[in-house]
Amino acid sequence: MKAGQWVVVPLLLVIALVLAGCATPAEQSADGDAEAPAVATEGEVTITWWTESGGLPANVEEAFIQPFEEANPGIKLEIIPQESINDTLRTAIQAGEAPDILQTPGASFIAEFVDAGTVEVLDTYADDLGWEEKLLDWAYQSGQLGGNLYSIPLTYESMVLYYNKALFDENGWEVPTNLEEFNAIADAAVAAGINPLAYGNATWQPSNEHLMGIYLNNVAGPENVYNALTGAKQWTDPEFADATELLRQHIADNGWFSGSLENYFANSGDDANAELASGDAAMMMSGTWLFRTLPEFFDEMEAEWAWAPLPTLSPDVTEYNYQLATGSTLSINADSEHKDEAAKVIDFLISDPVRVLTLASASGFGEWMVPVPISADDFPVGTDQRIVDFFSDFAAVTGDGRIGYTTWTFWPAAPNVQLWEAVESVWVGELSIDEYLAEQQALWDQVRETGATLPVPAPGAQ
Amino acid sequence: MAQTTTVTTAASGSKETSTRSSSRLQGIGRWVFIAPLLILNIVVIIGPSIAGLAVAFTDWSGIGAMNFVGLSNFGRLWQDKIFFRALTNNIIWTLIFLIVPVTLGLVGAYMLTGIRRGQMIFRVVYFIPYVMAAVVNVQLWRFLMHPRVGLGPWLAQYNITFLDYPWLGSRATALYAVAFMDNWHFWGFLLVIYLAAMSAVDVELYEVARLDGATRLQQFRHVTLPSIRPTLVFTLLMITIWSGLVFDYVYITTGGGPANASEVMGTFLYSSAFERFEAGYAASIGVMMTLWVAMAVGGFVFLRRIGWDI
Repeated sequence: MKAGQWVVVPLLLVIALVLAGCATPAEQSADGDAEAPAVATEGEVTITWWTESGGLPANVEEAFIQPFEEANPGIKLEIIPQESINDTLRTAIQAGEAPDILQTPGASFIAEFVDAGTVEVLDTYADDLGWEEKLLDWAYQSGQLGGNLYSIPLTYESMVLYYNKALFDENGWEVPTNLEEFNAIADAAVAAGINPLAYGNATWQPSNEHLMGIYLNNVAGPENVYNALTGAKQWTDPEFADATELLRQHIADNGWFSGSLENYFANSGDDANAELASGDAAMMMSGTWLFRTLPEFFDEMEAEWAWAPLPTLSPDVTEYNYQLATGSTLSINADSEHKDEAAKVIDFLISDPVRVLTLASASGFGEWMVPVPISADDFPVGTDQRIVDFFSDFAAVTGDGRIGYTTWTFWPAAPNVQLWEAVESVWVGELSIDEYLAEQQALWDQVRETGATLPVPAPGAQ
Repeated sequence: MAQTTTVTTAASGSKETSTRSSSRLQGIGRWVFIAPLLILNIVVIIGPSIAGLAVAFTDWSGIGAMNFVGLSNFGRLWQDKIFFRALTNNIIWTLIFLIVPVTLGLVGAYMLTGIRRGQMIFRVVYFIPYVMAAVVNVQLWRFLMHPRVGLGPWLAQYNITFLDYPWLGSRATALYAVAFMDNWHFWGFLLVIYLAAMSAVDVELYEVARLDGATRLQQFRHVTLPSIRPTLVFTLLMITIWSGLVFDYVYITTGGGPANASEVMGTFLYSSAFERFEAGYAASIGVMMTLWVAMAVGGFVFLRRIGWDI
């Protein structure tokens, strides 16, 4: 090969590489990438929405996408499941390649997106399309930040006490409603060689916050939590120290959760479900998202599951409450070229309670339970009565203002993460409760300085 | 004559010019030839590395604006107990991997050199865990180590109780349990590498050693080890580097818990960036991990410079 040819060949390679690198994603995807958005026909707009993989209802195509496209000619909707959606979304936003509809894991994640200017203010759409009337009031308010609406909840949930009904019947146990009864059942279970509670955080460390939220709301009580969330109390106050201490005793000293603190750390969520279904544990404090998966474990064991409101865990808390929680939220990408069409998608999702329940039914009412006003009659025929009972009671109790607060809906990101990360150090004895709560308060002080707190509905009848 | 000389000189000069020109062209050609790789390297590795270094001096959350904060991320690292726990765990992890799989790989490979028939079967069997996905390996071992349904509680029914322990849930054992899983998948890889190196050792050396009355152990010590030293040292270097960057097995199995007991720099970086949204702080942890690698490579180069035959 002549010297000149030595130059030409690699030069061509460089040019080819540069040209390939300069190709737009659309040009690349047109070559047949299976994940690529379908090419819209002329005049047709495609709205993209990434959702958490595994969370998509099986009937989403016929119950939502097709009816939406028929009702909105010229708009094509693509809902694409993604692994670890929060990580994926953050990367895509940074690259300017995020979808039109942004789904986040919860309201507390929105603040960061708002700071970065990546989400559209939704107030105009909300006013024009009547979103405030279409959604439960607390759920609508939870999407606000600094007086503006930025997100709409995709699903709502709460925390309940699941129990193995056959085991309770066999032992003549009554579902506990207060701390005294709870302790009595736990002692009886231990005496019978059964773990009082099943739970674990091996595959989802934030499971810790489920327990912290439950103990804060049922030991310190919703009033105190509300006051701390709004700055009228300090997290270092004795009520919260008592709540943290009671959980520490139950999980670390007593080993009530799956037998020991070590077992709790080694258990996954599915392990805990299996433990409860098999009768190795009597109860489980968890979220209503388990309506989707828990029945499978019980069916396999030919056992019967049941739920009850969480017991109050302090004499100062006299009535049970339901914690309010939004599971995922929907926002509109500020860089989207089709914001109006994206708003139509959201509006279509929240406008029909029957459609909401049809979609939610395909997820066992554990996902895509959009917080719209519903009645027991709206549920599809054949819906498990236990699930209908929960949502009916939830509506009645929260309507009376007996509400509690989940950490992933009402805590800003930094104090939320500290709450579930650092509590492990409390449980293993590396961090005192006072130090833990002082760190929590310090993070809240920082958040208040920036004004990034989230709206909090007051407990009590409005 | 003078004219002839002039012609000869002119011809010679022309030839020299032509040779120099050709040589220069070839020099340029070499650069152009490596240009694709160089450009890729700049775009994919050097560019992001410089950007990562720059981010370490900011308060960036991962999206949106970033503000220059000087050395404050590094100052915070210096006072961060969790970071030092992670660093300590990386050191422990390195020591474990420099000893356990290397020993198993060396001994296993040496024993296999004595097997002529069926050696390939052993090679494949030992190598399979290495090519299995980390998630699959972790699920397998998590099940075996489970405190309620795993191997330990099953054996405990027959009064064999020493395995009946929450290995992954205990702070005392979580790191070692994850290291055990990773070792299980990794040592077969070393075995295959060492076996390949041992196969290249001149058999006459062993014959001479045997004639001198050397035992198998002495042959291993005085013939095998010196002969495979470059391979051995290279694997030690790579293990040191990989141990500083370890992430997958720890993240999938314990996420760094319980209570940060199995935290390593990689998992701490990840949780800083994607759970606490502190990309700037995460980048400063990344810089520390890069320093780890630089120290490992620098140590290797230093030993060669001072005359070590590695």
